[in-house]
Amino acid sequence: MEKRMICAGIDAGSRAIKVVLIDAESHEIVGEGLADQGVEQDKLASQLFKAVLKRNGANGSDVGAIVATGYGRSAVSIADTTVTEITCHAVGVHRLVPKARTVIDIGGQDSKLLRLDASGRVRDFVMNDRCAAGTGRFLEVTAKRLGVELDALGPLAAGSQHPAAISSMCVVFAETEITGLLASGTAREDIVAGVEAAIAARIAGMAGRSVEPPVIFTGGVAMVSGMTAALQAALKQTVDVAPAPQMTGALGAAILASRQLSGAPM
Amino acid sequence: MIDAPERITLEEWDLRYEKLYRAGLPQPAYGGPLSRHVSDGDHRLLKLRYDNSPAALRLWNFLLTEEDRLHRARAAGKKIVGTMKDLGTVPVMAYSFDNMVAFYPDGAWWIPCVMEYSAGLLEIADSLGIDESFCPVRAMLGAFVTEAHFPIPNMLICSVGATCDDFSAIAQRLNGLGHSIFWWEIPHRRCPEQAEATAELPGGLSAPRCQVEFVKSELARVKVALEQLAGAELDEERLSAGIRQANLVRQSLAELRYLAFTAEPCPIPALEMLVAEMLAIHYCSDRGETMVVLEELLDEVKVRVRAGRGVLDADAAKIFWVNPVADLQVMNLLEDCGGRLCGTEYLFTHALDPIPENVPPLEALARAALADPMAGSSIDRAERICSDVCRFGAEAVLISRIPGASHCALEGQVISEVVADTLGIPVLEIEVPPVADSMSPTVRTRLEALAETVRARRRSRQNRWRNG
Repeated sequence: MEKRMICAGIDAGSRAIKVVLIDAESHEIVGEGLADQGVEQDKLASQLFKAVLKRNGANGSDVGAIVATGYGRSAVSIADTTVTEITCHAVGVHRLVPKARTVIDIGGQDSKLLRLDASGRVRDFVMNDRCAAGTGRFLEVTAKRLGVELDALGPLAAGSQHPAAISSMCVVFAETEITGLLASGTAREDIVAGVEAAIAARIAGMAGRSVEPPVIFTGGVAMVSGMTAALQAALKQTVDVAPAPQMTGALGAAILASRQLSGAPM
Repeated sequence: MIDAPERITLEEWDLRYEKLYRAGLPQPAYGGPLSRHVSDGDHRLLKLRYDNSPAALRLWNFLLTEEDRLHRARAAGKKIVGTMKDLGTVPVMAYSFDNMVAFYPDGAWWIPCVMEYSAGLLEIADSLGIDESFCPVRAMLGAFVTEAHFPIPNMLICSVGATCDDFSAIAQRLNGLGHSIFWWEIPHRRCPEQAEATAELPGGLSAPRCQVEFVKSELARVKVALEQLAGAELDEERLSAGIRQANLVRQSLAELRYLAFTAEPCPIPALEMLVAEMLAIHYCSDRGETMVVLEELLDEVKVRVRAGRGVLDADAAKIFWVNPVADLQVMNLLEDCGGRLCGTEYLFTHALDPIPENVPPLEALARAALADPMAGSSIDRAERICSDVCRFGAEAVLISRIPGASHCALEGQVISEVVADTLGIPVLEIEVPPVADSMSPTVRTRLEALAETVRARRRSRQNRWRNG
């Protein structure tokens, strides 16, 4: 049987690298993989890409086009071209949830809210400013300060009775607040729930006056349980987590790679 | 020598300069290769990309030799007036005297960028209690302390009231250091009430008659102070002549802006346009030469437009830029990310609009001063931005926040909402410190995403047309 051409998307995020392989024609996902990000971004991306290819019985000659996205996209030398994560998340989410009109992506270093039209194209977007207060970095700092793993935050928050009020909108100052809360005997559960609410409030502030449903939540932070509920409360809207939320950027990049391969506008 | 328009590095400019020089390039006294300014400490120049025309070379050399010009003016016995915060009103009065030049000490806010912090001006401001919670214009304080960037003026004039809070605080600190300042007040521009006498202002604005009268009286005080400094009277005829000269500069700039923002492909880079627009405020200490520099740039742009040649891809996303950037390199970055400048609002639109010539000169200047975007509401600013976005055909608006600037904390959201509601085009806010190298990846992502979004919207529009 003739081998089908593959297209690849590589999302070089600040915390993790994600690779998605799709069939160039059907856009069916044929492989995916994830690895921690590190200093040698190019090497790590290349290693992961090769590993995912190998795992799926493919090699470099099967790949028609590669698009890199994410914070470290420029460092991915095997990519044919780069596209920002804003466009890639929009394309990826549209593929998975065609009716989506708002996408909230919270990654390790930044957060964004995208408004999509019916065809899945970005109409407008907003991003967090320099401060990491509305990003996954806030959760990392919290986990470190509380001495727990990142994936333990969600279950902890679920046990909160009275979420703490985190007044600071700056991660550095918030860490000081957390220290103060711990010293005053505030339960860890309430601190985590307070941090999740603070992140959600930041996103709601970015969103402004109107958030058109359906609202889809992507990015690594979407996997932290409790964040979706916090966002729903802050936005006063139903928020659905995208299937495989960490991979939507890479999926979008792979779809854009297939468009590039076919000569269609990206 | 005919060369295709392009953006080139400083190193490439050096090679090009040699060729042009050998070919007999006519140059003004302040001419020469651009790279010579690096030895003065202007290290940022090494990282910028420039338009490759001789007109752009002249523009840059004119900008980067202002300090020499001011020292020569002093040596020639001319009076030097530092006009602070006021953008484009008092300089018109000062240049109406024969023996006076005005300059803009606030312009020192670019020194930390151009010299990549090496001058230590921000540290001096820190030591004077004006820290990074203030706008980078605090570098001006350091420049007054070191006296290494401009001669201490014979007179300092500063507008207060409905101006930038940061700047008022910084100017007061300067005053406290022993620099005498002549203050004049600009009130917050309000809408005339029903049955209240109204005055039309430049830019389609209006204000109560009483506010114009008040500003006129303030400018009359300024005029007397300038007359005392000059030792000569400034009669209506001379002031009117000064206004006419100012309007010639503004007219030339208006034509340049229109071509630069609307011609396809883009005929001149964003960075050179930023420098050109800044000349309108204070003429870089030589009004006559400003006119020559702008005319030469305009001629170059006209030639390019007629030939259909430009410096960027024809499909570049058309971006309307709000607020000046503290780091000049970000103007390059816009173009590297697939955008082009298609309109600007650098907080001094009133210094670009013609000053009325059909009313007495002080009345005309008072009306122009009251049209200052900072004297009015953010809604007024946003409406002017919407109007100019339509005029130039921009596809998105980029608001560049100035770190520490008090007005930026509030105006961005107002402008974003008015633009989004009125025009429905994307609006993006970024924050640019004086040296944005460490933030370059995040700023780049935002600018690239904005350009991608504009292109996606174009495709959506095309699809809608195709589908009827």
